[in-house]
Amino acid sequence: MDVARLKNSFARIAMHGDQVPLHFYSDLFLKHPETRQMFPVSMQAQRAHLVEALARIVASVEDADDLTAFLRDLGRDHRKFGTLAPHYDAVGESLLATFAYFCGDAWDAELAADWKTAYGLVAKVMTGAALEDEQHHPAFWKATVVAHERRAFDITALTVRTEPRLEYLPGQSVAIESPARPRLWRYYSMANAPRADGSVDFHIRLIDGGAVSLALTAGIAVGGELRLGPPIGALRLDSGSGREILMVAGSTGLAPLKAILEQLTGLRHATAVHLFLGARTADGLYDLPGLEKMAAEHPWLNVVPVVSAGRSPGHAGALADVVSGHGNWSAHDAYIAGPTEMVQDCATRLMAAGTPAMQVHVEDFGWSEP
Amino acid sequence: MTSDAWYDEQDRLSPDQLQTATFPLTRWGRHGYEEEPVRAFLAEVHAEMVRLINERASLWQEVQRLRRRILGTSNGNDGVLFGKEDAHIHAVRILSSAQRTADRYVADAQAYSGRLTEEARVRRDDIMSQAQQHADMLLEEARTRARAAAVAAMDHDGLPPQTDQERRAIHAELAYLRTFSEVYRQHLKIYTEDVLRTIEDWASKERAVSPDASLGGPSRHGLT
Repeated sequence: MDVARLKNSFARIAMHGDQVPLHFYSDLFLKHPETRQMFPVSMQAQRAHLVEALARIVASVEDADDLTAFLRDLGRDHRKFGTLAPHYDAVGESLLATFAYFCGDAWDAELAADWKTAYGLVAKVMTGAALEDEQHHPAFWKATVVAHERRAFDITALTVRTEPRLEYLPGQSVAIESPARPRLWRYYSMANAPRADGSVDFHIRLIDGGAVSLALTAGIAVGGELRLGPPIGALRLDSGSGREILMVAGSTGLAPLKAILEQLTGLRHATAVHLFLGARTADGLYDLPGLEKMAAEHPWLNVVPVVSAGRSPGHAGALADVVSGHGNWSAHDAYIAGPTEMVQDCATRLMAAGTPAMQVHVEDFGWSEP
Repeated sequence: MTSDAWYDEQDRLSPDQLQTATFPLTRWGRHGYEEEPVRAFLAEVHAEMVRLINERASLWQEVQRLRRRILGTSNGNDGVLFGKEDAHIHAVRILSSAQRTADRYVADAQAYSGRLTEEARVRRDDIMSQAQQHADMLLEEARTRARAAAVAAMDHDGLPPQTDQERRAIHAELAYLRTFSEVYRQHLKIYTEDVLRTIEDWASKERAVSPDASLGGPSRHGLT
């Protein structure tokens, strides 16, 4: 297999931009119409995901460990879509046809054989991981809403019970699909440490124009059913560090940090925690009473509310400014979650002020995809 | 918005129905959609539907033309037969363009619903801040009066009232202040409750119109 030649041809194909995934999916849906129903109506985001994944695979082709880990995650993650082994063959066939189409005259039997081998390896790792995962976990978890509470104008707290029990680490997230928005999966963090009764909390923020968030706030009631994907995400407590903790939560970015806080309350010797809780208006501090109660019970916890517009029960201003102005955090472990911009802003400022990058743990909530 | 008048007998939406569609007006004092943007959006959908119908017609003609050509070839005439591969690529192109149209519909509907929610959010923030200002004003007024009363009391040099007449006057003043604060408290309470009720109203209306079907038919759900 001539890796350099594969990379070269991929660079040439990628020049055609969105045309490539567009051609690929059309080819796939024409040859295997039954696969169409596995995807949402709008394929825009899906096409971008495909190109990203392909670029990621080609770029890390020389780092076998990294590539294998990525492909195994991808294979496991695809189970919730109902992906089966025959689908991999169908995708391979259409992918090769698409590459051949965009390579034009540069496509020959040798290149075709190389791509076929490369795809075969990718599919083997993905299906292998999916098969292995099948021994331990379902493709998705069935969840029933047991509580549904509107905490603010645009924020709802959901509690669900899952079947089977969802095993996860505080700080992780799952993709959620609502039956009202089939095939649209959006990631939300679990907002509690695992409980004895197995129930799980989510904090849902209604996004302007957001199809899924609307279905999960206004469009759902107790008894409603959802599907959850497998727990993912790298944000988790570095429990052995011995350092004090700084937490910065923007809006519903609080969810994963609250799960970690609950985990800390269960430890024998909890570390001192400074939690900065940010929202645009005081209304958006939807979980402040609960956190203040927690702080009253656990003296190691200090909660600082921050509001960027209007009256504040605590500080006023941008979260990053308030945090930076509050002292020196260079010897702390920092956990930051919330909207992309706020997370990046805070992380950059902390690192510039001397907090080592390895002590900064972030969860980027994105919110770019409604 | 589930009136049968939206659909013709074949359950298909026609461009003309979009132009003539009417919606019940919201009651006075409540907030409904502004008619103008809704009309503008309908006009946009109308134009798009007409374009699609025309495109479909021309595609149909193209199909007929190609069909004639292929039949002509098999009859021994001089038509050019598509290779199987070419036909497939052609189909891929048609499907791709259909996919783009679908993507655009969904994106448009999402952008529209985004704009509506954003407007609602801004309006709600306005009302809340107005209510807050109003409440602040009432409180400030009450404080001013209380201060004035305190100053008046100080005028007695802090000595307890000496005569029965003075005592009666002070009691009357106190009773007045008590009533005043009671009335203002009631006033504030009613005002706040009214604001909350309005917001609840909107919320329930929003719940009532939030579509529980998928975004499958954006042209029909675009207005909700």
